[in-house]
Amino acid sequence: MRRIFSIIMGVLGTSRALAVARFPKPDFTSGYRYPEIVHGIPNETFWNVLDIVLLAGMMALVVWAAYRKRSRAVMVTVSVVSVLYFGFFRSGCVCSVGSIQNVVFAAVDSGYHLPWYVLLVFLLPILFALLFGRVFCSGVCPLGALQELVNVRNFRLSRAVSAALSTIPWIYLSFAILYAATRSQFLICRLDPFIGIFRLGGDLGVLTFGIVLLVMSIFIGRPFCRFLCPYGALLSVFSSLSWKKVEITGKGCINCALCGVSCPVDAIRAPQASRTKEERSAGVKRIILFGLMLPVLTFGGALLVGSQSDALSLAHKDVYLYELLQRQEAHPQQAEPLEVETFHALGGNVEELKEKVDAIRHDYLFYSRLSGALIGFVIGFKLLKLSLKRSRKTYTIDMARCTVCGKCFNYCPQNIKTSKNEKAIS
Amino acid sequence: MDRRNFLRTCSSLVAGGVALATGGLLATKASAKQGDIFWQIDPYTCTQCGRCETDCVLTVSAVKCFHANRVCGYCDLCGGYYRPNVKELNTAAENQLCPTGAIKREFVEEPYFEYTIDEALCTGCGKCVKGCTSFGNGSLFLQIDQDKCQQCNECAIARVCPSNAIQRVTKDSAYKLKDHA
Amino acid sequence: MRKLYRNIAIVTGVFILMLAVMLGMSYFQMRQVSPLETGVMETLKELNETAADNESLQQQIRELDLLSRKAYFVKDGQLKTGIYLLLGMALVLVASLNLYYKETKNLPEKDFDPIDDWLIKSNARRYLSWAAAGVAMVGVGLIAFQHLNLLKPSGETLVAEVQDVEAETALPEDIQPEAATDSLSTDSVTTEEISDTAEVEDAKPELKIASKAFRGNNSGGSSSARGIATSWNLKSKKNILWQSSIPKHGYNSPVITGRNVFLTGADAQARELYCYDVWSGELKWTVKADGIPGSPSSMPKVNADTGLAASTVATNGEQVCAIFATGDVICSDMEGKRLWAKNIGLPDNHYGYASSLLMYGNMLIIQYQNNSNAQILALNAKTGNTIWSKSANDKIAWSSPIIATLGGKSALVVMGNPAISAYNINNGGELWRVECMSGEVGSSPTAAGGVVFGASEYAKCIAIDGATGETLWEASDFLPECSSLAATKDLVFCATSYGMVCAYDATTGEVKKEHDLTTPFYSSPVVVDGKVYLFSNSGKAYIFSASSFDLITSFETGEKTFATPAFTDGMMVVRTDESLYCVKKE
Repeated sequence: MRRIFSIIMGVLGTSRALAVARFPKPDFTSGYRYPEIVHGIPNETFWNVLDIVLLAGMMALVVWAAYRKRSRAVMVTVSVVSVLYFGFFRSGCVCSVGSIQNVVFAAVDSGYHLPWYVLLVFLLPILFALLFGRVFCSGVCPLGALQELVNVRNFRLSRAVSAALSTIPWIYLSFAILYAATRSQFLICRLDPFIGIFRLGGDLGVLTFGIVLLVMSIFIGRPFCRFLCPYGALLSVFSSLSWKKVEITGKGCINCALCGVSCPVDAIRAPQASRTKEERSAGVKRIILFGLMLPVLTFGGALLVGSQSDALSLAHKDVYLYELLQRQEAHPQQAEPLEVETFHALGGNVEELKEKVDAIRHDYLFYSRLSGALIGFVIGFKLLKLSLKRSRKTYTIDMARCTVCGKCFNYCPQNIKTSKNEKAIS
Repeated sequence: MDRRNFLRTCSSLVAGGVALATGGLLATKASAKQGDIFWQIDPYTCTQCGRCETDCVLTVSAVKCFHANRVCGYCDLCGGYYRPNVKELNTAAENQLCPTGAIKREFVEEPYFEYTIDEALCTGCGKCVKGCTSFGNGSLFLQIDQDKCQQCNECAIARVCPSNAIQRVTKDSAYKLKDHA
Repeated sequence: MRKLYRNIAIVTGVFILMLAVMLGMSYFQMRQVSPLETGVMETLKELNETAADNESLQQQIRELDLLSRKAYFVKDGQLKTGIYLLLGMALVLVASLNLYYKETKNLPEKDFDPIDDWLIKSNARRYLSWAAAGVAMVGVGLIAFQHLNLLKPSGETLVAEVQDVEAETALPEDIQPEAATDSLSTDSVTTEEISDTAEVEDAKPELKIASKAFRGNNSGGSSSARGIATSWNLKSKKNILWQSSIPKHGYNSPVITGRNVFLTGADAQARELYCYDVWSGELKWTVKADGIPGSPSSMPKVNADTGLAASTVATNGEQVCAIFATGDVICSDMEGKRLWAKNIGLPDNHYGYASSLLMYGNMLIIQYQNNSNAQILALNAKTGNTIWSKSANDKIAWSSPIIATLGGKSALVVMGNPAISAYNINNGGELWRVECMSGEVGSSPTAAGGVVFGASEYAKCIAIDGATGETLWEASDFLPECSSLAATKDLVFCATSYGMVCAYDATTGEVKKEHDLTTPFYSSPVVVDGKVYLFSNSGKAYIFSASSFDLITSFETGEKTFATPAFTDGMMVVRTDESLYCVKKE
């Protein structure tokens, strides 16, 4: 770090020396005065406080609606507010999903001052998930809220396929951590599909991707949340261990199966375990097999991704620059890329860069193994979990998947009866 | 059932502990006032490569040309205002370097001319900055207009800046002006 | 009612789709093109700069400027309206779809579908296992492929190297230093150049062998050309392909690339870069070095035997650059379009600026000789921007830089007072520096077989190991003043201002052979086709054997010659005091 700092200072020093005053300061005789130009700095502190208050407040509101009122109307209202405020007005940055990277970045780079509110944006949803489940996903997150609002109908994908696809967020998360920890780039922010929609502009490719996802989410429940969102994956861990569980009805389940149809994210688990008969010993064998597979997959993942660390490291600016320099040296006839030109113009030293690049590549080897291990572990753990048989007597909510959208409340006949009864009483 | 509940409570506690510990640890790193919220260009490192104009997430970049009047030489033949082979020193379109005509030139007194940037027209292409830095005092320089900047979590221009001139800065150093240099 | 909602949804859907495509395209355009900087506009502005005052052209520019501004803002406005329209339509679509599905909403999709948890789990497990196995297979395949690739390229280069060596052994008389020694390194500019242009064939073909700078491609005083005539006569036109006049005088030498011959000329009125056709000798175009900001209004004082255009131009086959005693550097493309021009500062030089240019790939190297701050500059040939610069605290000299292959890598070698130095050509990092020169250094160094040779009349002749910077030998029998050294692996050729020419042994420094020709030499010897070509100031041509330095032939050409000739396939282009002529066997 100190070396990097000294390099930066060196660059500053040399370029400062270049900025020479070629022409003297004019001697005005006509009483000319220099204009005073003030450059505005937005009052971020105010908005940040408001962000945090709204974040916490809306999550509390969702908790109240989900646990006390069992009303979806509150979630929809929260979604509208979130899309308008966090989405269009605050234009999406910083969001909890992206804050993962800031946190990782702060953990590895002591030169980065993590703003307090980014830490809160990262931690508050996790704390709420630990207490009440993924209330953040419900409608407080502008990305989830946008998909929730445009969704009109839920054509269900095969539940098995969805379950298998829910591994993708973890892979995404692993790579996001890899790139943030190596100070290369913020992958999640770069590929955020909806930020372009909130800002009414942006990179055309990502914008198209966002629109495709949005059109998909008209007919499929929350494709981004289920199959891509890395923060959702993180929250699902805390949510599955949450203190309180969301219940579809307070009146007791009558096993009508309506709620299972309503859920857009396949979070409702049916009571009976299986209609297929299987020997108990076969099941035990499978569990043992997958139990053994877990370390193998973890190790294999680490090896596989680790072996690609050099290729992955090209995402880092310095490594890429070094690669460009090498290419230029091999083919001096070719037009010089801007990066190389600037490097030479600033008097860059290839040997120093090489040292830096070697250090970065070293980092990459470690972190790519780590993220490979994480990917392998997640796949192994998923397989293990999928081979566990559970028996339940009623329809219950899988807290890991539930995004607290409240759709099932309206479907449950027990809830409808109650509200009618209440009306009748009042 | 008891065994499962016990395991569940244990893992809940572990998860909670992890979350709190991470939070606490990071809280010591997080600074209350001086977090790196903004992005800014160091004008002394900037090479005016032109990517600020094209790579900002906004349609018209948040990067604008700033003018440090106290550094300016108020030249008649301004390297930032005129094209390299200018024939006549007047404000006609064919003589101006700025592709959008965002620089206003006004006569002050013999032989001085004042140059002012119209930010609404500036696209941050840096052509004038290059001209001024090469031939003049370097009083024109590129800065991110914090009022226009979206404060992306990762600046799209910083990602492609060839000289790494764009860095995260705290509120106190939201602008890196040349006036006081 | 449902039908109505459905129709609304369909109509808005189609509308949104069309609008989105339109907006996407328009947005793409706006982001791609700098708003008011259209190609037409730039061309017109450039035209205005080169043409004489043209009121109507200027008027046209102003009108177009106004028009494009209007168009930009209209487009910007349209885009904004379009986006809001799109958002509104999306709202309508979602609302109408919602209404369309409203009645079916609370009904289950099919008959009750009891969720078989275990079946789902089993299937999911299967899918996941297959996907993981697939990814692992692809990953392993990728690794295997990479490892194969690691083996493959080395094999390929081996083949290429063998071919290289073959190609070079097929040219036995090709004594070009780099070509002979560095068949392993791929960065030899000359070999690439030969292979690059090898396919071009037509009646009057582009020439395969270029001479891109003063004294050959790397300024080293050797060429791989063959079949050069050993006798010619300007009067009887024997072996003379053409002879043309040059508009303005200059002491610089011609350079050749493709089918173009470049040289410059200057007087107090103008400084110009000329391009001649190598087959016909016709003057194809002229580029003027004028209207350059910072260019001095009055000409610097120069000696009559230096002039305002003493520096030879350099080209890389795409751009050609020239420098004049005013410090003006201009760069043109092969069609005579001036790409950029700048003044690097009026050189404080009591005889006149004389160092020649050199190009390496996309880089223009200038040994900026100056009494106050001597520098070595590397500029981007496309833009004129500085890539690197190096302040040399050396005293003024009139020497030109060369590119030499040292330790298998191309390096920049520069001779000045008091040192000969080698630099990393990519960033200007100093490789070594040997302080051995003194007085006024006008001669340029050369290199052969990894050894750098330099000599100056007021110092000595020195041989330096290019890899280490170690001095191999020194000699002071005969020393050049204006003429530069040329060398093969075995001999170093030297021509002096007092009429002596000699060949030093390249390994010991001993004088192998000397001739007293009693006529001064300013032009430099060039090793080509197993021979050494040399012109005396009076215009007498001498041709020696490159292996023994025996005089093969000599004859008067009749025109005073100070410049060094340029060689290409079977042709030699010579600049004399009065004209430019091309020698080719009939």
